[in-house]
Amino acid sequence: MPEMAIQTQKLTRTFGALTAVDSVDLQVTPGQFFGFLGPNGAGKSTTIKILTGLLAPTSGSMQLLGVDFAAKPVEVKRQIGVVPEGMGLFERLTGSEYLKFVGRMYGLDRATTQRRSEELLDFMQLADRPKTMIADYSHGMQKKLALAAAVIHGPRILFLDEPFEGVDALAAGALKALLARMTERGTTIFLTSHVLEIVERLCSHVGIIHKGRLVAQGSIEELRAGISGEAGTKTTLEQIFLSIVGQDGTERPQLEELSWLM
Amino acid sequence: MADVMPSVSISEQIRLVAALRWRILRNSLRKKNNRLDLIGLIFTGVFASVLVVGLSFAFYAGAYAFISQGRLEWMSLLFWGIFLFWQLFPVFVAGFGANFEFRTLLRFPLSLRAFYVIGLAYGLADFSSLASVSWLLAMTAGATVAKPGVLPAMLLIVAIFLLLNVTIERLVGSWLERLLARRRTRELFLGLFVLSMISLNFLSPLMQRYGASLRSAFLRLLPYFVWLPPSLAGRALAAVIRLEPAGFLLSAALLLVYLVLFTALLWRRFAAQYRGEELSETAAPARAAARPATAKDDGPDRLSLLSPQVAAIVRKEFHYLTRNGFAYLTLLMPPLLILIFSMNFAGRHPTVGGKGVSAEMFFPGMMAYLILILMAPAYNSFAYEGRGIQTYFTAPVRFRDVFLGKNLMLISILWLEITLSLGMLTWRVGLPSAHMLVATCAAIIFTVVGQLTIANWSSITFPRRMEFGQMRGQRQSGMAVLVAFGSQILMGGISAVILFTGNWTGNPWLPAEAFVFLAAVAVGGYFASLDALSQLAETRKEILIEALCR
Repeated sequence: MPEMAIQTQKLTRTFGALTAVDSVDLQVTPGQFFGFLGPNGAGKSTTIKILTGLLAPTSGSMQLLGVDFAAKPVEVKRQIGVVPEGMGLFERLTGSEYLKFVGRMYGLDRATTQRRSEELLDFMQLADRPKTMIADYSHGMQKKLALAAAVIHGPRILFLDEPFEGVDALAAGALKALLARMTERGTTIFLTSHVLEIVERLCSHVGIIHKGRLVAQGSIEELRAGISGEAGTKTTLEQIFLSIVGQDGTERPQLEELSWLM
Repeated sequence: MADVMPSVSISEQIRLVAALRWRILRNSLRKKNNRLDLIGLIFTGVFASVLVVGLSFAFYAGAYAFISQGRLEWMSLLFWGIFLFWQLFPVFVAGFGANFEFRTLLRFPLSLRAFYVIGLAYGLADFSSLASVSWLLAMTAGATVAKPGVLPAMLLIVAIFLLLNVTIERLVGSWLERLLARRRTRELFLGLFVLSMISLNFLSPLMQRYGASLRSAFLRLLPYFVWLPPSLAGRALAAVIRLEPAGFLLSAALLLVYLVLFTALLWRRFAAQYRGEELSETAAPARAAARPATAKDDGPDRLSLLSPQVAAIVRKEFHYLTRNGFAYLTLLMPPLLILIFSMNFAGRHPTVGGKGVSAEMFFPGMMAYLILILMAPAYNSFAYEGRGIQTYFTAPVRFRDVFLGKNLMLISILWLEITLSLGMLTWRVGLPSAHMLVATCAAIIFTVVGQLTIANWSSITFPRRMEFGQMRGQRQSGMAVLVAFGSQILMGGISAVILFTGNWTGNPWLPAEAFVFLAAVAVGGYFASLDALSQLAETRKEILIEALCR
């Protein structure tokens, strides 16, 4: 059996009485562009936090690139890059200072850190504001910088929590091309996004989490076949998503209740 | 079409904001850490209350005695005491007022008037204001008991004086915050400070040479002090008791003029904030870069002895320090005050003719003061990390390296300041005996390293986010304050007992030997604690991230 990039067994996280992530068994193979979907509050961010070491699971286990996270966290973290929710930037550094800081934290030597920082800032179109502190960057610029920091050490797995939120179309195009190139070269990308069109265009595989449980997992083609009963149909990801998460009988809000707004 | 709502009155808006603050406090108590914070606050509040109540008795007795004995001019002294405390205490210790979240409030249809009143009301909620108000009330009570007829006038004067003080405090705080928000003015501020420190050294020879003429110049200036608010308040009161309505009206009117003037200035400041003033360093749109985005790191690595991770953290801490105006001020104050103390109280200083404190006691005393001030931020060392704290948990770094980096930066600052202060003390006061010098140096290592271990634990156990570069509403967690207070008392107590043991036993080298032993134990304990604290940080990471990423 080939080594999985990400594998979890009965991964569970509770907050008091609430089970945010409930016995999730994920399997992501190396080089996959994996989209992790779910409605608001479904457990996407909690799962990504657990997978990146920002949150401890209540129970269950996980292996990244075949290494048990709980046993060797530092070894695992060397191999992964993360753009967490809120981006995790030190806002009182400049973009260049931050990239150098992150590069050195991942153990890169000074010359490599310097070279990669320059290249990444150029690529992300952030090189023309050398004195600007991150706190004064726009949201989109911060997103690009967070992504640059996540890839500076050449990670084998990249975790991205809503990476395109607030990024302009021009930059988003360049980022998508970069991510596609990374997966071609064997990097595994684990991405959450609310924009289903982006996931459909970029991702080869998808997992859908709903109320903490992983309710679907597989390639988009497999999920289409699961919904329509036959492969090769034109069912969109949005239709797949709605048919899966809309099956629990949850009532949609009625617009008539907001008559005073119309 | 949106409904146009009727405008809401200022009192209603203030009531809504107060209710909001109360609800936020109540909801925050659902979390254990916040409950501990409140308990810590209550404890520190009790200590502070003892001080305030004690001084309230003094103000009561002072007002009573001055009025009943007919020394009416002396009432000005009480007003001066309160005025100086109210205006200077926030600069030296606490920062200005409670945090006025004007950016949050600006989303709502709030009038500038309501914005101003809420901002002013917030100014009454900090320690210096609450303490000063208590003392003013105590003065009022003392004056009324001594002469009941003075109550209406006293209430009027106290009300104007109170409003004037809170207005000035808000204004000064706002100006300083604005001043320190920009790199250039921060550097100018640093330059002025260094210049003033150097100038102070020439004060003594100048006083010796021109002392007599300076004294007479000061005495000539003294009458003009009566036109300043504290003196005016005292004079107004004296005029009432002497039944001089014209004098009372003149002084009260001048106080009102001051109030109107400062209100107008503060109104201007708040109006700028109301319009969305941006204090950030680089608010203006950037021009195209004239130089490469990344400065070349071609020179020798000055931190090559450290691991890349620890060196990266030290560099980051240095960048943060140089960009945080308030932290800057905190660092500059202690050596300046040591210089001032050494010029006024030290034994060998020529102006006091050898009657001051001896170098034997002055040396350890000043070092204790320095450590007391400079170690305080270490008890909440992640305060300014914000969302960046997540990087420490996603990067392949053990938390012990994070502690090491942060502690190394603090120790470097301490080393610099202690060296500077020791140099100044040696110059101004002279060297203490060899055994006292060794004992003091070993005691510094013991108390600093010992405290660092406790401070690291406190930082991950009671974290609290603080806003970068802001002077307002910057409050540590109540429990962190308690822990800092307790460990400083413990370390200070142990050190004092050991120092005196040398005197009692007649063995002058005993404290030095004891401190060298304790320093070695503290250093060993520090390194032994790093792994355990690293483990603790891992188990408490959720609380840490939640507290700092809010």
